[in-house]
Amino acid sequence: MGERNRTADRVEPLRQDLVLAFPYKHSTGETIGRFLAGLKEQKKIWGRRVSGLGVVVPPVDYSEVDASPAREWVEVADTGTVTACAVVHRPIEGLHPFPHPFAYVLVRLDGADTALAHVVRDGLQRLRVGARVRAVWAPDGERKGTIRDIVCFEVLES
Amino acid sequence: MSEPPREPVRYVEADLALPYHYVAGDYRARYLRALADKRILGSRCRKTGKVFVPPVVVAPDVFEPADEFVEVADRGVVTTFCIVNIPVYGRDIEIPYVAASVALDGADLSIFALVREVEPEEVRMGMRVEAVWKPDGERRGDYTDIQYFRPTGEPDAPPETFLHRL
Repeated sequence: MGERNRTADRVEPLRQDLVLAFPYKHSTGETIGRFLAGLKEQKKIWGRRVSGLGVVVPPVDYSEVDASPAREWVEVADTGTVTACAVVHRPIEGLHPFPHPFAYVLVRLDGADTALAHVVRDGLQRLRVGARVRAVWAPDGERKGTIRDIVCFEVLES
Repeated sequence: MSEPPREPVRYVEADLALPYHYVAGDYRARYLRALADKRILGSRCRKTGKVFVPPVVVAPDVFEPADEFVEVADRGVVTTFCIVNIPVYGRDIEIPYVAASVALDGADLSIFALVREVEPEEVRMGMRVEAVWKPDGERRGDYTDIQYFRPTGEPDAPPETFLHRL
């Protein structure tokens, strides 16, 4: 029959380590698909000129201002200026791209009118809004056609 | 070159993994350890007498302690169920299979369980089922110690005996 629980009866807690995994396969579409192909095959960053917005990177299909189709492709530089940053001091394994402190940044690349979201891995003490940065590319043969073909951005000496 | 490549990248793949530590705590640890001995523990509410399986510290309906441990049967009744026809990533069960709520004899709430050894379309509310345990020596004190439930062949339970135990 039943027994009342007493503190003295408490048992050693059980603990189990678990990993919750979410695999994604994300369809890119024509425009982002060509942007990613440019990273992989050309080591180039492409934007598109859009009515009312200038050169948008990553590229979009149409203008959010007047719904007109995007016009020509424009190559932008792999250097740019940080417009916002947030340092992650305690990264979570499996969720974040690096095991050590890093920063999420918005970078307005030279030649672009919008900012690209990416990461800065090193030189966090020199990172600030307005800092100049350059893309660090994955080596030839290791680029897979994802945004991580740009491994990170590095802070340039001011 | 004035344009990116003609041939686009069709898709990107990514893995998001969230590692975490599950700590069972006092009552849940007792429940799991008892499974290794083929025993299923619940806890009885001091006020209403309801038996919760797995055991809870405080009855969620009346906020009273539920600190009397009782053993319930490893057989009971299917209170509700669904037939799963879509494979779930990371769950290696051949479809279709039946995921059911089973109210164990002596318990006032049901537990989640698989029902096997029966065609899915033959499973019904009120069906009597029994636990199929892992063999002696293989039970480790976790949820998989009960592999699944299977029909006992007894007559179905009348709805009024289980509809309040969904």
